Amino acid sequence: MARQLWAVPVIAFLAIASVAALVLLPLQLGLDLRGGSQLTLQVMPAGSIKTVGKEQLEAVKDVLDRRINGLGVAESTLQTVGDDQLVLQLPGEQDPSRAAKVLGTTALLEFRAQKPGTEQEMTGLLKLKRQVQAVLNQSRAKAAATASGEPAAPQVEIEAEDLARSLQQLGVEVPPGSSESDQLELLLGAVNTKIVALYEPATLTGRDLTGAGRQQQQTGKAWDVTLSFNSEGGRKFAELTQGIAGTRRLLGIVLDGRSISEASVGPEFKPAGITGGGASITGNFSAEEARDLEVQLRGGSLPLPVKLIEVRTVGPSLGAENIRSSLLAALSGLALVAVFMVVVYRLPGLVSVLALSLYALFNLAIYSLIPVTLSLPGIAGFILSIGMAVDANVLIFERVKEELRAGNTLIRSIDTGFSLAFSSILDGHVTGLISCVALFALGTGLVKGFAVTLAIGLLLSLFTALTCTRTLLRLLMSYAALRRPTYFLPAAQLPASAS
Amino acid sequence: MTTTAPAATPLPSPRFRISRYRRLAWWGSGLACALSVVGLVLCWLNPAIGAPLRPGLDFTGGTQIQLERRCDGVCGRLDASQVQRRIAALRLPEQAGEAPPNLAGTAVQVLDQGRSLVLRLPDLKPEQAAAVIRAVEAEAGALNPTATSVNTIGPTLGDQLLKGSLISLLVSFAAIAAYITFRYDRVFAALALVCLGHDVLITCGVFAWLGLIAGIEVDSLFAVSLITVAGYSVTDTVVVFDRIREQKTALSGLPVSEQVDVAVDATLTRSLYTSLTTLLPLVGLIFFGGSTLYWFAVALAIGIAVGSWSSIGVAPTLLPLFSRR
Repeated sequence: MARQLWAVPVIAFLAIASVAALVLLPLQLGLDLRGGSQLTLQVMPAGSIKTVGKEQLEAVKDVLDRRINGLGVAESTLQTVGDDQLVLQLPGEQDPSRAAKVLGTTALLEFRAQKPGTEQEMTGLLKLKRQVQAVLNQSRAKAAATASGEPAAPQVEIEAEDLARSLQQLGVEVPPGSSESDQLELLLGAVNTKIVALYEPATLTGRDLTGAGRQQQQTGKAWDVTLSFNSEGGRKFAELTQGIAGTRRLLGIVLDGRSISEASVGPEFKPAGITGGGASITGNFSAEEARDLEVQLRGGSLPLPVKLIEVRTVGPSLGAENIRSSLLAALSGLALVAVFMVVVYRLPGLVSVLALSLYALFNLAIYSLIPVTLSLPGIAGFILSIGMAVDANVLIFERVKEELRAGNTLIRSIDTGFSLAFSSILDGHVTGLISCVALFALGTGLVKGFAVTLAIGLLLSLFTALTCTRTLLRLLMSYAALRRPTYFLPAAQLPASAS
Repeated sequence: MTTTAPAATPLPSPRFRISRYRRLAWWGSGLACALSVVGLVLCWLNPAIGAPLRPGLDFTGGTQIQLERRCDGVCGRLDASQVQRRIAALRLPEQAGEAPPNLAGTAVQVLDQGRSLVLRLPDLKPEQAAAVIRAVEAEAGALNPTATSVNTIGPTLGDQLLKGSLISLLVSFAAIAAYITFRYDRVFAALALVCLGHDVLITCGVFAWLGLIAGIEVDSLFAVSLITVAGYSVTDTVVVFDRIREQKTALSGLPVSEQVDVAVDATLTRSLYTSLTTLLPLVGLIFFGGSTLYWFAVALAIGIAVGSWSSIGVAPTLLPLFSRR
């Protein structure tokens, strides 16, 4: 009997250590419980890279880390998931629009000279671009004005015929039933692509930047983005501008394949090009757009494009509601199980409730130690594991009852009960763990949360249901007053000889 | 170990003989399975669903927005079709190089006596989702910003989730089958797997019917519940088989069907109790766990209840048909 009692100090120690762990390391709550936004980005293969590997993922993460720092969001975390995904968590953030915009684009900045002999075509395209942009700006302003109830009359218009002709010239296929504004968007996209095609390949890119800033234009409200190059970049920029100075060819500034600005270079730069290692982009930016571009350029361009594949936003009061309801669910579940066990199994039932409380405590301590970020599915896994943990006790106690009914002594019945039930308990836990491994290996964030807590629960319940219950029961059995079979099952079921 | 009493005393005759009811049990399970298959097929044939189960946001991709109106006491009436029209007429902020999604098919649900709204839209960028929320605010009045939730699943992720769920289902079933075959003889393993199939099929069938009648959708958590049910179902069945294996020597004189009766009778209480102790926390989850986990808990509860039935009524009663004495 003494060989069983070694576990008493161990269990006591573990219980104290668990409480200490919970006090010192608070539980980490997922965004569905505390409110906030979570963005999942998938890194897409591009160019010569057919599959995304760890290295590329890390490279993308470095750039995104810098951009997030530029955004200045508190407490944000960016983690890699699997081989090609990144998860950004923004606690407390309710509108992830800006983060999505800043992180989701490649921000590949290119300076490209116009090809010789394309001046005429370029002039036509730029005229069309300005016209389309003006109409679009206006209809957008109009939509905003209608929303706020102010009437506004259109001033610039584009004839339906002209629009159709331009679309046809550029070879744009218009899906049937699309509105005028949709057609204009398509046209603008096509014009931009055409303009980009008129440029030489890039000799200078955002890689050669050392910094970026922004300043408001002296006239008007628009903002410019200012750039400073490293010495290599400064030299390239001088060469590039020297090449086109005094000609009618333009310098194109292309961001992610879209032409954002076209500039002419005056003849005064013919001798040496624009020197000084700086430049500014006049792209008619709003203050926010300029700030975002600045952050992106400072962070550098992404080595591979990313795609936003998942966005989850939970308001803080919804999160608080989730905490409340899952806590209530867990406590009511525990209480129901506790009542059931005490009613059905009497003294050992009480012991199993004690073991179950220890089980809950150890579980929480493990969550804070690993640490496991608790999410709603994770809590569901924990609640389900309560039921499975107590299953083991049911199997054991039923065995003990059976042995008692067969007329065995109390102590022997307990021992036999534990050893005979072990095989079923082990099988149950192993099959449960197999499910968890499959879920963890192949599942995504939410599923993993469930698999982790259920697996921890299953492993832990092997310890609490077997060792803790057994030790506690043994400890109680060392008191003669408690060694009564009627504490285990109704007297009517006992054979006359055993009582 | 010392010999315990049962070997010495005459065999206890079981109070409950499952073999007597086996035809009834088979009919019951067969009918439930047939109904499930019918439900799954009807779902598949239904043009609005087109799959054996109605796929949710996780698998189809798209954006779901949950909003709560800020109103003291009683909320004013809110017409879902009006909100729908307002959203359909909305011009979304464009994204470079992508046509804005068509919002004409937006599904709007008004819940809790007009207090909250759930919108189902195509895949939106965060900026576009914010525009939709502003449009709803214009129609429905002030919203409680802290109770808003927006979930967007891109179409690529939807495909990944679906594929991942199916693969993890198959892998876990195969792994459980391998483990059971390794631990038990082939007949036991085969029957445990029949039970597993039975439990998973009926759970799916219930959700197929729920999808048809009440529009309930399945998400990746549903796949999780199926995998969990599979693991649990096998555990439950194994408890009975464990007993049959254990008493083999003591009862070797009896026909298999009577061995089964003794084993089922001996393990009946614990089978019911273990299911009950697992169901009790789930009851807590169903009643108090909130909407996110509601259908997940329901699926688990159904699966575990069916699993408990099949480990008593199906697996043991089939055993005599397959085992040679």
